[in-house]
Amino acid sequence: MSKESCTPAAPRTPAEPRTPAEPRTSSNAKPRGRKGAGLVAARRIVQICALVLFAMPLFAAGWSILGLVPSPEEPMATPAEGLLWGSFSASQVGPITLMDPFAALQVVCAAKTLAISGLVGAVLVLVVYGLIKGRSFCGWVCPVNFLLEGVDWLRARLGIKVCELPVPRRAKILVALGVLALSAVLSIPLFEAVSPIGALNRALLFGSLLGVVTLVAIVAVELFWAHRVWCRSLCPLGGFYQVIGTLGLLSVKIDHDACINCGKCKSACLSDPAILDDAVAGERNRVCSGDCLLCASCIKACPTDALSLGVAAPEHPTL
Amino acid sequence: MSASVFGKVVAGVAGAAVAAQAASVALVDTSDILRPPGALDEADFLSRCIKCGRCIEACPYGALIADSSPTGPGTGAPTLSLRDQACRMCQDMPCIPACPTEALHPLDSREDIRMGTAVIKRELCIAVTGMRCEVCYRACPLIDRAITIDFHMRENDAIHSVFEPIVDPEVCTGCGLCVQRCVISTPEVAVEIVRDREKALAMIEEEQAKMVSSSPF
Repeated sequence: MSKESCTPAAPRTPAEPRTPAEPRTSSNAKPRGRKGAGLVAARRIVQICALVLFAMPLFAAGWSILGLVPSPEEPMATPAEGLLWGSFSASQVGPITLMDPFAALQVVCAAKTLAISGLVGAVLVLVVYGLIKGRSFCGWVCPVNFLLEGVDWLRARLGIKVCELPVPRRAKILVALGVLALSAVLSIPLFEAVSPIGALNRALLFGSLLGVVTLVAIVAVELFWAHRVWCRSLCPLGGFYQVIGTLGLLSVKIDHDACINCGKCKSACLSDPAILDDAVAGERNRVCSGDCLLCASCIKACPTDALSLGVAAPEHPTL
Repeated sequence: MSASVFGKVVAGVAGAAVAAQAASVALVDTSDILRPPGALDEADFLSRCIKCGRCIEACPYGALIADSSPTGPGTGAPTLSLRDQACRMCQDMPCIPACPTEALHPLDSREDIRMGTAVIKRELCIAVTGMRCEVCYRACPLIDRAITIDFHMRENDAIHSVFEPIVDPEVCTGCGLCVQRCVISTPEVAVEIVRDREKALAMIEEEQAKMVSSSPF
């Protein structure tokens, strides 16, 4: 990215003006890269909010975090009396119960039944991510992806070399199917018993060590073995949302006239860079793969502003 | 090359750790661990609980806590530490509707709660050994029904009585207030909540068969 695109928007100093001689990719007068940078900044804010969101109701009720709940003789206020409470697995917004749809599927497999409130909550979440794009959960909300983006940044700073995509991206769909099959066999929602998603969140809220073993294993693997291998290839929730992501109205669009085929979008991609191939090759007008996280890393990386986020009816669905 | 070998070793160890954790989910027995009101047996509970923590956030007494063990099927699931805080058997049982998967099944009345059954260890109970106590009896939310006092003459004593607390397993909800309030803590608390009903009944029978001397002096 050029230095000028990193400059904050407010001061319009003489150092910044664009000359007519500078190539323009469209009628859009915004400095290049601004759009992607804004999206990534918005994503960071949403990720941080998602991480602290569920701790807020505990503080609001006067509780402590880390599971250090007081033991009063008289009933005390509870987070559940507030407007928003719960965790990533299941939460409550006013009268509406929300539930992780993949957790709901596991319960269906394990218990061979599901309560109505959970079912409705899971369908609501599914509809929201189905309308946006499945893996936007991964890119914008999931605390594990947030942490692993940090781990990846650290690894790059430390100069540790790792391999790229040793496991194909569609493997996580098989992991998801395997989790569902094993949940049915063991009669326990298996991923929920080892899931690193919300591990930090749950440790923070309840002092629970659920998922901490998995989380440490993943961080070690991503530091020393393979680049983003958990989110790209292994996470069953990612695999589930990858399938849902073949629908969804939001996607990364490409302006073929502006694209100079430099490949910077592919190096920035948080998912499998191959999902950009068809678009960059000029065969598609947008990234059609269900594996796209809508993370906007490619948009930010594009030196010619050829990429943007746009609304379009889903077509050419690929996993 | 050595770096990539190291990477593969890390990947192998990490994979083994996650596999071992998944195996612990299948193999560790948590059927003795107490669960919130509305939970049926451990198999039913574990098949539904997604460890979301909603029941914990709904408990107005802070009695529900997350199981903090790092492995096993119950990790992160709600349980109770009775000596810290027992279930207070709220009239509206807010933990139950908080559960999105009916791992906690709806109950008609708080008296239908069956978290377990109190079993009094007669050799440790100071009431059985001849002192006045009745702390568990008075702490019991279902006083005179779940716990009654059986008074009878102390052996080899013409003027003193023993006031022994007796649990009615048909009425006891297993809330654990007797455990929280029990004055005995060494070598262990003189009453415990046993989750499995058959096991509790067998233990009560075994306790009643014990000949405990009521003359401590």
